[in-house]
Amino acid sequence: MKVNKYIFSVVLACVVLVSCSDDFVDVQSQNQSSENYFNSEQDYQDALIGAYDLLQSTYLNVMLGEIASENTLAGGENANDAIGIQQIDDMIHTPNNEQLRDIWGWMYAGVNRANFILEFQDKIDFPGKENVIAQARFLRAYYYFELVKWFGDVPLAVDKRILFGEQFDIDRTPKENVYAQIELDLIYATNNLPVTQLDLGRVTKGAAQALLGKVYLYQDKFPEAALILDELIETGPYDLVTDYNTIFENDNENNIESVFEVQYTDLEGAGFGCLQCSEGNVAVGFNGVRNYQADPNTAGDVFESGFSFNVPTQEMYDAFSDDDLRKDIAILNIDQWAATTGITFSTGFEHTGFYNRKYIPRTGDANIGDANLTNPNNYRAIRFADVLLMGAEANNRGNISDDKAQMYLNRVRERAFGNMSNNTTATGNALTTEIYQERKLELVGEGHQFFDLVRTGRAASQIPGFQSGKHEVFPIPAIEIALTGNRWNQNPGY
Amino acid sequence: MKKIITLICVFCISLISYGQNPLTIEGLITDDNDGQPIPSVNVIIKGTANGTSSDFDGNYKLANVTVGDILQFSYIGYLTQEVTVSNVTTINVQLKEDVSQLDEIVIVGYGTQKKKEVTGAVATINSETIDALKPTRIEQALQGQVAGVNVTSQSGSPGSASTISIRGISTNGDNRPLILLDGNVIEDLSVVNPSDIESYTVLKDATAGIYGVRAANGVILITTKTGRKETPLKFEYDAYVGFQQTTRRIPVLNATDYALLRNEAAAANAQPLPYNNIQTLGKGTDWQDELFQNALIFNNSITVSGGSKKSTYSFGSSLLTQDGIVGGPKSNFTRYTTRANFGTDILKNLKLKANLIYTGTIRKSLPENSLGSVLFNAVNFRPDVPVYNNAGEFSSSVTHPIEVVNPLKQIDNTFNRTQVDKLSGVFGLKYDFWNHFSAETNYQWNYSEVRSRSFNPIVDYGNGSVFNNTTNRQYVEGEQIFRDYTFDAFVNYENTFNENHNVKATIGTSVFKSTGDFYLAIADGLPSSSTFNNATLNDGTSITDPYAAISNRFFDSRLLSYFGRLQYNYKGKYLFSAVVRRDGSTSFGPENKFGIFPSGSIGWVASDESFLENSNTINFLKFRSSYGILGNDRIPAFGFESLLSGEGVYVFNDTIQTGTAIGPISNPEIKWEKQKAFDIGFETRLFKNKINITADYFNRTTDDLLLQVESSRVLGNNAPGSSNPTVNAGSIRNKGIEFQIGYKDKISKYLKFNLSYNVTTLDNEVLAVNNDIGYIFGGSFGIGQEDVARMQVGQPIGVFYGLQTNGIFQTQAEVNAHPSQSSLGATAQPGDIRYVDTNNDGEITIEDKTFIGDPIPDVTMGLNLTIDYKNFDFQTYLFASVGNDIVRNYNRNDEVTNLTVYSLDRWTGPNSTNTDPRLTNGATTNNLFSDYYVEDGSFIRAQNMQLGYTFNKEKLSKLKLDNIRVYASVSNVFTLSKYRGFDPTGSNGAAIGGGFDNGFYPNPRTFLFGTNIKF
Repeated sequence: MKVNKYIFSVVLACVVLVSCSDDFVDVQSQNQSSENYFNSEQDYQDALIGAYDLLQSTYLNVMLGEIASENTLAGGENANDAIGIQQIDDMIHTPNNEQLRDIWGWMYAGVNRANFILEFQDKIDFPGKENVIAQARFLRAYYYFELVKWFGDVPLAVDKRILFGEQFDIDRTPKENVYAQIELDLIYATNNLPVTQLDLGRVTKGAAQALLGKVYLYQDKFPEAALILDELIETGPYDLVTDYNTIFENDNENNIESVFEVQYTDLEGAGFGCLQCSEGNVAVGFNGVRNYQADPNTAGDVFESGFSFNVPTQEMYDAFSDDDLRKDIAILNIDQWAATTGITFSTGFEHTGFYNRKYIPRTGDANIGDANLTNPNNYRAIRFADVLLMGAEANNRGNISDDKAQMYLNRVRERAFGNMSNNTTATGNALTTEIYQERKLELVGEGHQFFDLVRTGRAASQIPGFQSGKHEVFPIPAIEIALTGNRWNQNPGY
Repeated sequence: MKKIITLICVFCISLISYGQNPLTIEGLITDDNDGQPIPSVNVIIKGTANGTSSDFDGNYKLANVTVGDILQFSYIGYLTQEVTVSNVTTINVQLKEDVSQLDEIVIVGYGTQKKKEVTGAVATINSETIDALKPTRIEQALQGQVAGVNVTSQSGSPGSASTISIRGISTNGDNRPLILLDGNVIEDLSVVNPSDIESYTVLKDATAGIYGVRAANGVILITTKTGRKETPLKFEYDAYVGFQQTTRRIPVLNATDYALLRNEAAAANAQPLPYNNIQTLGKGTDWQDELFQNALIFNNSITVSGGSKKSTYSFGSSLLTQDGIVGGPKSNFTRYTTRANFGTDILKNLKLKANLIYTGTIRKSLPENSLGSVLFNAVNFRPDVPVYNNAGEFSSSVTHPIEVVNPLKQIDNTFNRTQVDKLSGVFGLKYDFWNHFSAETNYQWNYSEVRSRSFNPIVDYGNGSVFNNTTNRQYVEGEQIFRDYTFDAFVNYENTFNENHNVKATIGTSVFKSTGDFYLAIADGLPSSSTFNNATLNDGTSITDPYAAISNRFFDSRLLSYFGRLQYNYKGKYLFSAVVRRDGSTSFGPENKFGIFPSGSIGWVASDESFLENSNTINFLKFRSSYGILGNDRIPAFGFESLLSGEGVYVFNDTIQTGTAIGPISNPEIKWEKQKAFDIGFETRLFKNKINITADYFNRTTDDLLLQVESSRVLGNNAPGSSNPTVNAGSIRNKGIEFQIGYKDKISKYLKFNLSYNVTTLDNEVLAVNNDIGYIFGGSFGIGQEDVARMQVGQPIGVFYGLQTNGIFQTQAEVNAHPSQSSLGATAQPGDIRYVDTNNDGEITIEDKTFIGDPIPDVTMGLNLTIDYKNFDFQTYLFASVGNDIVRNYNRNDEVTNLTVYSLDRWTGPNSTNTDPRLTNGATTNNLFSDYYVEDGSFIRAQNMQLGYTFNKEKLSKLKLDNIRVYASVSNVFTLSKYRGFDPTGSNGAAIGGGFDNGFYPNPRTFLFGTNIKF
């Protein structure tokens, strides 16, 4: 009997197995499918956080934008340290440039994440949905604006992701059309975003207005720019921080001057394997003073060390007059600082003796490793000072109101000098020149100068090695052209 | 259950032997072939422990024998003979040599086959080889032993893994072969105690097709030791103790030479000289001397085995502990194993087998083989800095690049521990019925827990180092749980028709399921009272869970398979075999979930033909060939489906917000990759079986290779948590020749030897990469230089990609005459490396990068020699690799870090040298990846030499012992190589980016003294 029992069990086992159906290998992932999502407001909110995430990767746009200008040199450890950055500094960059490809890829990652929400924007309704959609459209505009600034004509996807396989069909869209979409997104955002958000760090109506004004300015649409910027200046909740010295400190983030600010934190570790994954401001560590060392609790114990990239030139430092309060706040004169505080440091490649003080590492953060990549300094992406100067430029260059332009400019100057004796009375082209110079000084180290020079046609005269007709935009990474089927033309000159 | 207990009792009782009317038998044992006496032959009364062995003259004497007892005469290499005792007290025996290891049974997957009838390229290694090599990990026993199997160590640190590749590298993904331990899938080989292994079988060709989708990288079947039926209870105790030391130090500059060269480099850049008083510096600190130490290794194991008429059992337990030659106990590996095997015939036709293995390992490790790792720092740290400063503390790394820190301080501040507890079991039943049929079902399972702890203390190395931890004591605790089972059920049919037609058929099914859970928690802000030993997660001010953002906390992969095999032979002379397997895998989408993998093989035993049958020269000759299609499903899970597994994290209100984002880019069209494996070969034995030869030609072409290919980033594939899609986008061919020759002979009755040599050639070529750029890149050189190794059409996979050099610029005139190198980052000067304008565009740019080296060896070889003389035995084993290149990437090349002594030969003026560039602190392009950094990594290594002595049995019988052998062995005796780094035998194992040496932890030289006692 026992024999039969065993035979039975063997046979049973076989039968059970043979009858095991093919469904056995259909396994559901623990992760949700992206195609079966957006079933609740929470889903939209969660996907929106994903779309915000790539703002943090714009640290590279800011740093590289500054290095591309005449304000700073590449620096770093040696001539080959991040060769792509060195080449952009020297205006000898080619279509093979890792950093340019990073910017390209990260901005498209942001575009796709925003489009993921917009692709499914009509799936369900809930109160406040227009706020979510407006934030997503602002983010798409922000990423596309970066792409147009850097690369000119770029593939445009609206309200749908670019899926695998489609990269072989998508073409570069003329930048005018991309700008048109950016304007549509920002107008929608302006009309649907609240003046203040519950969460600090979310996009507001003012941010959308400011970015829209900037986008108009980049296209020389002065009346449109003046209109929206005037409105923002007059009705928005923003103002200048009284003391320039406090703007960039970590205890003064999201201040009244911040129209739009990219949020960073030191609460999570990061590594070089995935810089875009860092929740910290990677550029800050790159900008830091090489081997900076201060004895604890001394006057110098306010900064930490970094990789000595993005070092301001002597000319940049000298561009500030000595009574300009911004001079030693915007730029750290390291020899002078070492002499007064006793700190030590070492020199990197292209050492100038100056550092981008706005965005170098401060003490007091958690220093979770890699501490150079996890600095919490928020990037003040659009400051009210920037808005005032844009407003001044739009009113002046659009021949709308030089009075208004002077007034805006003088607000910035009065803070810079702590008095009214440096106020301008210039008009016309002379005023334009003063506005340009004020932008350079006020916004140094914040990544705007290269693009300001390009859009106003002054780059060739200011940036050594800049060739007109070529360097206004950067090359599309050659590998990107190849990987989409070799159908795109390279930007001229590359 | 009751039945099993009864059975155990029965066989225990059967162990007790009874004696009556004792006789004493004696006699002479000789070789049937040459009449020479054979010493040390085992003589036992069958089924008892009563036995002896022959002396040096072949004589034996055994008391207490009863008429009717069966005497068993056994000796390695001879057929066991049995003689029934009558009244005669002198029994002389002529033992026949076991020529036919041909009758040996080979495991071929879901069954066994006579070696003679095997039609595939199958190699076997038995426990003798493993015993001789004393490996700490089972892969090491394969190194150089089997033609076509290449084993490279990923590090020499205790407990670190090796990379096994069978017949080349066929993907840039996972190249690991399928390894089954008693049918049980095994991924982490460190948990196996090598002395538990009875044999390895390596399926190298399409024969592996019985394993279908998992067979493309070859299959290794490992069998653990079991008891034998009707053998008395036997104990075997094995122990060794020894020490390990480094085989090499990289010669770096002493403090005086260092200062001189640093001054020169500063002067070349018009900087003030850093050293003004060189005379006082002396030799300074030799960081490698400070670091390398002799380290202990200790192993002991005990095995108990035996068997009754119906049952077999085997039980083993072992303990290994090994310190590192760097860091000593901070780089320790400890393993303890316990194993029980049991088999019994429940009925005459129903057999049961069961085994259970428990393994625990504990590993502590140091940062290795990377920028900023301990050995990297030892090579690069300044020699003029003492280990300790005046205050007796570790000296700081002031002025060093931020990744280079005091390596001793680094060891002192490294705290980690990974503990694995693994339980594995096999339960199987085999039932024979209707004379020709048998049904077999096996259930194999594994359960393992991997627990890791690490602690980052507050440490300041100075100089703003990346390893500084100024404020945040951090404690990390992780747990990973893995479970899997394999359930096989199959039916065999075996019959002979008309005496000559032998047919064997197998059909069956196999189910595999593997799941895992991962947990990781990071506690930050621990109090100052925390240490590695007392830290807990709750001590932290905040706890973060990295899996919160990327929700791949769990995996579940499965396989559902049906297979059939038909084997036919005519008179054992003409052999055919065909296999077909259908596999379904969770790795593939609904459209392409199932694949069919056919393979076939033929053989011809020519030596059974009349014209060779009586040949004295050729004792055996078989030709065979196989062809099949094999698969590979080792690809990232759910590549066919777009999932929200990406990382979407941002900050609102200064608080981290975790959202959702799309993970790896999906490709719904992923389908099976198909490897077409062809093999043709022969096996022969010549001159009274003294010489054996096996030779094979193989050609494996993998099409529709599953690759994570570089894709356009408009897809968003470099968003956090995303990655390139998996695409069937490539083709690779591996072809080569394997040749193995063995020669064994007996020179006199005291002196025997066994010599074997194997050689494998390998030609690896990428045939296609269909991603529009025709290549995939990887690897990293120096600081952030990428795209230095490629998988590109027409080249071997992992080919090095960099600038080609053409000597050194001797004069400014030479610089002027050469295309400008400025766009590389600096204008060339005399003394700089001259690069070749490979694309002839009149300018040296990164477009001139070309193929400058190949990490894959062209030829690998192994040589084994065993000599037995009287009671002494000697073994040595060498292996070699020819034609592989290694990239020297352990120099930081900073203006402060130390240099190797080779920099003494630098360029110092016109015609001083045409090899090594000048030293300067100024901007140069000499640090770009070029063939200047590529070295020939060919080597010959004497991997093991061992001398043993076995005590005479007569003397032992008084001690009630069967056998005592003592031995001394040295492993990694010497290495002949031109390579200047620590160890040419190492590689990180990456298909693209392997062969870059960042300060490889060298495999130690190990001196062992051990004993093996059987009783």
